[in-house]
Amino acid sequence: MTDILVVDDSKVMRDMIIACLRAIPETSFVHASSGLEAIERLSLATFDMMVLDLNMPDIGGVEVLEFVRGQDTLRSLPVMIVTTRGDEQSRERVLQAGATSFLAKPFTPDAIIAEVRAILGGRAESVA
Amino acid sequence: MTATADLKEFIAAYLVEAEEHLAVANAQLLAVESAQRKGDTNPRAVRETFRSLHTIKGLSAMVGVEPVVAIAHRMETFLRDFDRSGAPLPLPAIDALLKGVRGIEQRVAALGRGDGAAMPSDELLAALDSLGFAAVSTAPPAAPLDLEPALLGKLAPFEIEQLIRGINAGKRALRAEFTPSPARAAEGMTINSVRERMAAVAEIVRVLPRAVPVSPGAPGGLCFVLLLLTSSTDQAIAEAVGIDVDTLHRLHREVEAPILAERGNVSPEMATSELEEDFSDAQSRRGVVRVEVSRLDEAMEGLSSLIVTRFRLARAVAALNKRGINTRELSEIMVDNARQLRDLRAAIVRVRMVPVGELLERVPLLVRGLRRATNRAVRLELEGGTAELDKSVSERLFPVIVHLVRNAVDHAIESPDERERRGKPEEGLLRITCGARSNTRLEITVTDDGRGIDRAAVARKAGRNTPNDNAGLLDLLCIPGLSTRDIVTTTSGRGMGMEIVKRTIVDELGGELEVSSELGKGTTFTLRVPLTISIVDAFSFECGEQRFVVPVAMVDEIIEVDSECLAQVPAQEDGGPTVDIISRRGVAVPMLQLAQIFRLAAAEKYGRKAIVVRRAGAPIAFAVDRMLGQQEVVIRPINDVLVRAPGISGATDLGDGRPTLVLDLVALSTSLNVRTGASRAQP
Repeated sequence: MTDILVVDDSKVMRDMIIACLRAIPETSFVHASSGLEAIERLSLATFDMMVLDLNMPDIGGVEVLEFVRGQDTLRSLPVMIVTTRGDEQSRERVLQAGATSFLAKPFTPDAIIAEVRAILGGRAESVA
Repeated sequence: MTATADLKEFIAAYLVEAEEHLAVANAQLLAVESAQRKGDTNPRAVRETFRSLHTIKGLSAMVGVEPVVAIAHRMETFLRDFDRSGAPLPLPAIDALLKGVRGIEQRVAALGRGDGAAMPSDELLAALDSLGFAAVSTAPPAAPLDLEPALLGKLAPFEIEQLIRGINAGKRALRAEFTPSPARAAEGMTINSVRERMAAVAEIVRVLPRAVPVSPGAPGGLCFVLLLLTSSTDQAIAEAVGIDVDTLHRLHREVEAPILAERGNVSPEMATSELEEDFSDAQSRRGVVRVEVSRLDEAMEGLSSLIVTRFRLARAVAALNKRGINTRELSEIMVDNARQLRDLRAAIVRVRMVPVGELLERVPLLVRGLRRATNRAVRLELEGGTAELDKSVSERLFPVIVHLVRNAVDHAIESPDERERRGKPEEGLLRITCGARSNTRLEITVTDDGRGIDRAAVARKAGRNTPNDNAGLLDLLCIPGLSTRDIVTTTSGRGMGMEIVKRTIVDELGGELEVSSELGKGTTFTLRVPLTISIVDAFSFECGEQRFVVPVAMVDEIIEVDSECLAQVPAQEDGGPTVDIISRRGVAVPMLQLAQIFRLAAAEKYGRKAIVVRRAGAPIAFAVDRMLGQQEVVIRPINDVLVRAPGISGATDLGDGRPTLVLDLVALSTSLNVRTGASRAQP
């Protein structure tokens, strides 16, 4: 089973992301509605990857990412940033902060599935 | 084979969330404006506005609502720079931004109705495009805060300023720590719950994560640092939140003089004005499930049939009992069942409740718009309280409030010049209060200190006699088509007239409407509506061999009719019903025979009981044959125009399968044109 943490302050957005990713078999999803909640969940349980929004109240996605990369246990966690800011500069910034991949909103179900499959590598491919 | 998700299915959820963000954007923009008019800034509100529009844009793009993306994108781009710099927004820009929000609102509303969202006008886009960035960056204030640089560096300038202002206002700035662990999470202690509890005893300025060495006490290698302002003691905070008192530390050294002396005109309350308070805690929506109202209606419908079934059961048990069968055990079960039904009903009703604050949250924006359109100076005072009311009541009530507010600003409050001539403060006052009056009723008042209503002038327009009391005035104001407008203005003349206000409040909601007005001093409209509709406690009674019910909330008292206390008044000239006068504790109360009104064969000349209701504060009694009891009934509206009649608010089923009429005795007395009050009373 692949466990994915989906972080976005918008419930609709989380639901949409999960609706898209349900097409990948053998995955389960955990919601987090803020950056702080995401960090808490990551510190208490193990996930295979995180889908992370950038713009959130309390702490934003880049701060979450910086914190995650500063933790020994989380350094190698795959993190996919999903953001409305699709420009090259933003992309550079989040990749520098340690994002594994970057997906601009709006995206199609196929696009996000492809990104996640690429991150999860052979694991998702083999069960699909 | 897996089906690809269709994101269009999310449109309903999208609309709900978009509305929430629009409400935030409106309130926060007004908060920015109000701060800046006082020579202050409110960077937090700018940030919240920016975030809301950013979210709206992202969601709209996902579900393919391009017109909204076009508007939100322009606003977001403009706001981002101000959010970064913390500079004040130019006041004309706030205008354009509010127009942008309005533009999005219109499109969201259109989608909600099932229409398409129109592309924004070139005019709107041009207005938003012309918003240039002219922000001046402000240096962060030097911070006399006891905080390690790693954390201090993560604070925005406005957060540091918020802390300093709080300290200057006499609050204590604290740092609290919460270390999550699986054991704490199992007890329900997570960063979300800690924040929620903390928000009750302190103002949370910021929460930051901090990596700590992994230890048995910190198995996740993580602790959260909460930066707070509070007036509570450490002990109180530790208890309220459930954290150790040792984890609390003071953030500031002793300060004798205010740190920001040069900004002495800044009052500490400013940062937490009423509007911001409502929205500052975005966390309050956590743990919320959105449900379509139609699904709640289904649950209510299901409950309704349960209640009807219970009536049938009760009758069957009573029948058994009559035949001498021991029904003790059955009766005990019936008692339990009644309690469970009541609890279930309360639970469903609670789900449908929304805070009254939600009803009033758009009023500041409305007043702002009216202020501009009419050039009136108006101060708005809102008193919302914490009452909750049924969503469907709230939805019907809102247009009524809009109408009353519009009338007040447009017609009642004088121009600044005129007010000065009359020796009134230049700024008019519009005050709206909203509070639960009992467990079942909500009272709303809309008061202005304007010119008051000229009864004689209104009567002349209507071609009637000048009324000598407020009830008469209200009757006049509610004559269909009557307009008291002296001049045609840009804001009124749209929407609905007073007669629709009355129809909504009295006929649809079963509430009451009152007006009191003093020439030259002002006018108050008072609305009383039930907090919920559809299931109510009601008295059932018999009259002329028919059964009726009347909601308990409407009844003032039930009295015995003692023929000693009766005096008959000559029939009314206009052919109205016979009015008797009954003495109730020495006060003369007009009494009508219900059987006569409905042309039912009455058992005796006078009913033996009388139900007393109040119309505009004056008592009026209806004589009936026999009271049957009190029970919860499900009221179904009567929509058939052939059956609908004044004084009948719906039908119910008492369990015998026969429809029973639900009476609105207040409306009935109004439709009969019976004069109340002591003037005609003979002892």
